[in-house]
Amino acid sequence: MVDVSGETFDAIVVGSGAGGGMSAYVLTQAGAKVLMLEAGRDYDPEEAPMLNTPWEAPLRGAGTSDKAFGYYDATVDGGWEVPGEPYTAAEGSKFMWWRSRMLGGRTNHWGRNSFRMGPYDFKGRSRDGLGADWPVTYEEIAPWYDRTEKLVGVYGSNTGLENHPDSGPGVLHDPPRMRAWEMFLKAGGDAVGIPIVPARRAVLTRDMDERQACYWASPCGRGCSIGAAFQTTTSLIPWAKATGRLTIVTGAMVFEVVLNDAGKAKGVRYIDTASGEQREASARVVVLSASTGETARLLLNSKPAGRSEGLANSSGQVGRNLMDTVGSDLSAYFPALEGRPIYNEDGAQGLHIYAPFWDYQRQAAGELDFPRGYHMEIGGGFNQPGLGAYGVTEGYGAGIRAAAKRQYGSTIRFTQRGEMLANANSFCEIDPEKKDRYGIPVLRFHFAWSDHELNQILHFQQAVQTLVDRLGGTITSPIQAPADAISTGGQIIHEVGTCRMGDDPKTSVTDGFGRTWDVDNLYLADGSVFASKAHKNPTITILALAMRTGEHVARRLQSGEL
Amino acid sequence: MTRTTLILHGHTPATPLQLSRRSSLKWFLAALTAGPLAACGDDLKGVDWIAPPPIDAKGYGTDPNLLEPVTPWPLTLNRTEIAAATALVDLILPADGDAPSASALGVPAFIDEWVSAPYESQRADRELIIPGLAWLDREAQSRFQRLFMHLSPEEKSAMADDLAYPDRIKQGLEKPAEFFARMRSLTIGAYYSTPQGWAELGYVGNRPSTGPYAGPPPEAVDHVRRAVEALGLKLDGLE
Repeated sequence: MVDVSGETFDAIVVGSGAGGGMSAYVLTQAGAKVLMLEAGRDYDPEEAPMLNTPWEAPLRGAGTSDKAFGYYDATVDGGWEVPGEPYTAAEGSKFMWWRSRMLGGRTNHWGRNSFRMGPYDFKGRSRDGLGADWPVTYEEIAPWYDRTEKLVGVYGSNTGLENHPDSGPGVLHDPPRMRAWEMFLKAGGDAVGIPIVPARRAVLTRDMDERQACYWASPCGRGCSIGAAFQTTTSLIPWAKATGRLTIVTGAMVFEVVLNDAGKAKGVRYIDTASGEQREASARVVVLSASTGETARLLLNSKPAGRSEGLANSSGQVGRNLMDTVGSDLSAYFPALEGRPIYNEDGAQGLHIYAPFWDYQRQAAGELDFPRGYHMEIGGGFNQPGLGAYGVTEGYGAGIRAAAKRQYGSTIRFTQRGEMLANANSFCEIDPEKKDRYGIPVLRFHFAWSDHELNQILHFQQAVQTLVDRLGGTITSPIQAPADAISTGGQIIHEVGTCRMGDDPKTSVTDGFGRTWDVDNLYLADGSVFASKAHKNPTITILALAMRTGEHVARRLQSGEL
Repeated sequence: MTRTTLILHGHTPATPLQLSRRSSLKWFLAALTAGPLAACGDDLKGVDWIAPPPIDAKGYGTDPNLLEPVTPWPLTLNRTEIAAATALVDLILPADGDAPSASALGVPAFIDEWVSAPYESQRADRELIIPGLAWLDREAQSRFQRLFMHLSPEEKSAMADDLAYPDRIKQGLEKPAEFFARMRSLTIGAYYSTPQGWAELGYVGNRPSTGPYAGPPPEAVDHVRRAVEALGLKLDGLE
């Protein structure tokens, strides 16, 4: 382990995922000497099993408690449970918390879906009186989205649709061609008024720097050793390292932010996970990018003299406003797709097309019974065959093969991803009893959906039914009541909001730059600062905000303010 | 009683010859250790849906080598159970023309790996399948005085017909029908997640290429255009 105890850094960045990777990149580019502390182990993208087949893996790669998303998923030492690092849920609450313990964090396996938040998303309260406005407008953040998308590499197209902003000229990579079943679906969408448009994903479709364009194989969740699917371990972290100004310490579980007598952050304390020993590191500024859950936990566990509520928590909002994406699913079978000519439909693996929320006008007119939007992620096609029943629900013998072949490539899966509004029943706090293997108190989650989310499920189910009917298909999955159809809190792994940014120190934890109101040189750069949870997948926004925060910190470091 | 402790380095059903060699070896070892549970049938009397002992082996852990997978847990099915499973998976997916049977693609070994896995996600299947395999032989004994594997195709079908159709499951056989349905899912999944299964479905992916994604060839677009037009819709400038 690198000994950093005697050194003083310009900045300490806690975490190496989207927020931490971007923070370290921006700060080192600006000349700052940065220490990155990552709780998990070092990770080499070459570990990704790019082309390994199901028959090589235990249980054909099926998920287990050791590897919840399957044997080949990139996640190291994580998943819904991390050995020795429990979390709890309050009575009556269910919450699922996905973590990984590896350099690059969850960016190594994410879906790469990268939808910009729009003008309505930053000012939801102004539009419908619910939740909280962000302290920034879309127009202020738009240039950061452009710069982030250019740096990261995002494919997609500019659709001009309401609240689904376009990127600047030349920013996006070309989207991959539609597959045949997607053309089919779009014809139905056009007929019933559901927009089916190119998706946006952080996947290169042309070579960039040392990264290769997508080669149209290898599920992105395995990690991408060619660098096409964005993750910090093939991009931001090696680039930051190349400046010579980044020191990375892995196996460093930060548990406390330390203040000096003047109430400024002077560094952090962490456990060296290999030895179990406590270490300390110091810097002029501390940036927490530990994740929505871990950043809140760290602040709540840091108790400067006389502040039992934790650090940077004079507002009482740390841990509050916990939100996840609304999730539900339906599958449908389309006889019209039977027997279609087979070709390679792997493509970019994930979404080529999706259905962004389209019903804003009726919503504004008061015709909908829910306040915010959702989008549909849509899957199907001649996917890599693995374990599964292939739609066969009866019989045996000769008919099975024909039934499986009929179903293969004829099923389309619709996945709802919707906005949740913050509510008083959804938050995290420190569990009064339980500690992890390092003796650090753990999080206890409270979570509840409201009618705002449940009503949205019905809209989705009706929309899918309309689309499927128009295309002569049949919904094959149960159409459940919303309370049964909706995902468990945390299950979509879009948790945000536990240290929301705002204009008012009394009701928010940070200002619009992620600077905590209470500690001038303590910044947050991860999902915790989200003031609301748009239906758009959060990572691209975490990246854009972290870039903006990083440059703000760099300016203050350069000016000697910090 | 000790069971076989073969460690499998992934099931690669490369050629039928290799596979049968592997199977023979495993069966031989199983026979050595399975003791007197031979085809006399007496052992099966009174077997009900009693949960088999839990697995206490170790899994592959939370940080296995993804490029060189190893399945570390011992297999636990005995010879009798393997024989019943083999007969059942071949009833579900028999050979058909050039297409091999489920057992020729190693499905019984996969079932063994699956029910022997030390994970909660497989525990319910273990508790369903091991008693289910015993039930198959017991039912076969009671109806035809032979083990399931020795039944004629007509006799096997007579048994399966009571289980295989959700809308006409024979009363009292709900649990065996649940077992049958689970075996059908696992058999189909295990069959198609092999090189031969990929070929049979026509999957042609997992092949890197350069340049833009090729997308659908003209005949695939034509097919969709015809499908869409038959529904009174049109493909709007997509191709």
